[in-house]
Amino acid sequence: MTTFIRPRLRVPALYVLTGAALAAAFVAHGGGIWYGSIATGIGFGARAIRAYVTGGRDSDEGALAGSRADERLALLRTRSRALAGIAAAVAAFIGLTAGIAVRAAWWWPFALILAIALMAYLFGWSQYGIGATDPADDEAGVTQPAQSPAT
Amino acid sequence: MKNRVREQRTQRGLSQAEIAAALGVSRQTVISIESGRYLPSLPLAFRIARFFDLTVDKMFDPGGEEDLA
Repeated sequence: MTTFIRPRLRVPALYVLTGAALAAAFVAHGGGIWYGSIATGIGFGARAIRAYVTGGRDSDEGALAGSRADERLALLRTRSRALAGIAAAVAAFIGLTAGIAVRAAWWWPFALILAIALMAYLFGWSQYGIGATDPADDEAGVTQPAQSPAT
Repeated sequence: MKNRVREQRTQRGLSQAEIAAALGVSRQTVISIESGRYLPSLPLAFRIARFFDLTVDKMFDPGGEEDLA
């Protein structure tokens, strides 16, 4: 999706985009918190600059910030994202149960987050091939053994 | 799992950065593989073995107890 952007600029661009969206939300809200957009712009701008600088370094952080993660970093990133997803789902579940218990009106965003997390989880299973019902070799009538890439 | 990456690299007088560049991974990944903290994927294991003109089973010891020589 972001392949048209130079790898080192992808993470900084993400910070700029998310910062701009949040700043726009503050501006749209108006009232007394409009200055939040300035703080957001400065904060996310600083993060974008830091990501660009870090992206030039020969380190794990640099490789992640510079979008040049190899297989080890990709694995670590996937595990970290999985942990973040679990934490978000647990937090949403706690929020939902607390909202229901106190008869609050704010229960539904937690339910929505939980539903999205569940849908994403199920989508992940289907997307990555789990649940495919490929027949066994003998059932499919295959007589030749599978070729190993090593042979 | 033990491996002979460090041994083979030092025998050839190569740096971790040179190996990393040749294999298309980061220097930190080479360090992690050498120290045994990271097990490379099968494609990367083959690339490592081919780089050193060895077979995968000569490069990596799954048992970690057998003599690699």
